[in-house]
Amino acid sequence: MADVESLSHSGICVHDLEEAERFYIDVLGAEAHSSVNFKTEDTLKGRSVHKSIVLGDYLFALALVGDFMPMPPDDQLRGAHGFRHAFTVSKARFDDTLDRLKKFNVAFEGPVDHPEAGPFGQSVYFKDPSGNFFEILWRRDEDVKYAETIALNVD
Amino acid sequence: MAEIMVEARTLGDLIIDDISHLAVEVTDLDRAGPFWRDVLGLKSIGSDIWPDCGHHLVFRAPSGQSLILAQNANRPDLTDTGVHLALRVGAGFKDRIAGKLTDAGVEVHRYFEDRPAEEADNFYFFDPDGNRIQLVDAAGAAGTVTGIDHAGVQVADILWAEEFYTGVLGVRVEHRMGWSTADYVRARDWAEGKEDMAPGTRRLDKRYTVMVDRKTVPRANMQIFLGFGRATLAVFLANQHFQEPLEELMVGTPRVAFTTTAQGLDAAALTLEQHQIPHDGPVRHPSSAPVGRSLYFKDPGGNFLELCTPD
Repeated sequence: MADVESLSHSGICVHDLEEAERFYIDVLGAEAHSSVNFKTEDTLKGRSVHKSIVLGDYLFALALVGDFMPMPPDDQLRGAHGFRHAFTVSKARFDDTLDRLKKFNVAFEGPVDHPEAGPFGQSVYFKDPSGNFFEILWRRDEDVKYAETIALNVD
Repeated sequence: MAEIMVEARTLGDLIIDDISHLAVEVTDLDRAGPFWRDVLGLKSIGSDIWPDCGHHLVFRAPSGQSLILAQNANRPDLTDTGVHLALRVGAGFKDRIAGKLTDAGVEVHRYFEDRPAEEADNFYFFDPDGNRIQLVDAAGAAGTVTGIDHAGVQVADILWAEEFYTGVLGVRVEHRMGWSTADYVRARDWAEGKEDMAPGTRRLDKRYTVMVDRKTVPRANMQIFLGFGRATLAVFLANQHFQEPLEELMVGTPRVAFTTTAQGLDAAALTLEQHQIPHDGPVRHPSSAPVGRSLYFKDPGGNFLELCTPD
């Protein structure tokens, strides 16, 4: 038994809170969750502003950074820069995801086919407006009760 | 007779045309009056004629908008806040005013503008009481103050204010400051003395005093710029605690008033009712008054607001 039990949330650094919130809500279908430290008393205590959104069942704290982060080139759509967050959609909804990215003019790479023996079907890779890497994929074992250790054929 | 149905809509659906009048507080009318009249060339239309403004002097701009100097010996010092008012001026008038200000020993500040639409309008000075006045170019007008362009108020909770202005009043957020990294990077230019920025828009954060070599960190103070018809209201997150008016007080100064139609006023009262926003009125003024009916209320920062009809 590990000391921790599950992943709770991610803090993700962004260059524009409003732009990031709109991206996660409009493009990825997230829900606004909370806004923190927008009061005078917060500024007096030096607290940083952030907003949180819920994407699927996962919470992102969008943290505004005080300096521009060195980011990979604009045309690099796939990679890991610190983190790459990957989310699943069902195979039936994967095309909708692509349509949505196209509708909002989000540049993406893919769909990329994964080996048939593996758990992943196809992935699409893109970035949020601040340059954080994202991936959305469907799983071949989506009808199976989620059990990563079995799917990956490890003990 | 058919019953007239007034639907509750956001006020933004109705015609909030422009700023009708601004009531600005001064400690001494005898000192402030001549400054506003002589430096800005404003025409007075009388004193103590406006409803709910105490002892005051009224100036009227060619636009028909009024500036009311209301006397309050105990007015708070607003020089370090974002609170200000902006007047539209005709071609060449800034230079004339600059000359008069120099003669009067008043410094002109060229603050960096946070709102893209005001980039060419970085002309600021303080009246004798520390009210910050900005001059904004009015297209194609003669050399004079032509009207009121916008006003700036402060609040203690910027999100609550945004919710009120957009959700209840139905106005649009035209621009934001303090939501992006670029604003924070710019705050560094201010802290390093490279750019002069208006009071209340940047601050030095004390949070890291003990964490990083006892240094303070420059930060952007949040602002939202709201569009009301032709007018703009700038709402600043206060960087210091300030005294709000008593909760039950609905009318007072300083005050920002907007013009609307008779139907708009009634719908506004209904909207405030439905959102359970305390308000006073609509109040019918005596026929001698310069406005017809008024609806008084406050934003979540305790700023006095008014919607009024011309007659």
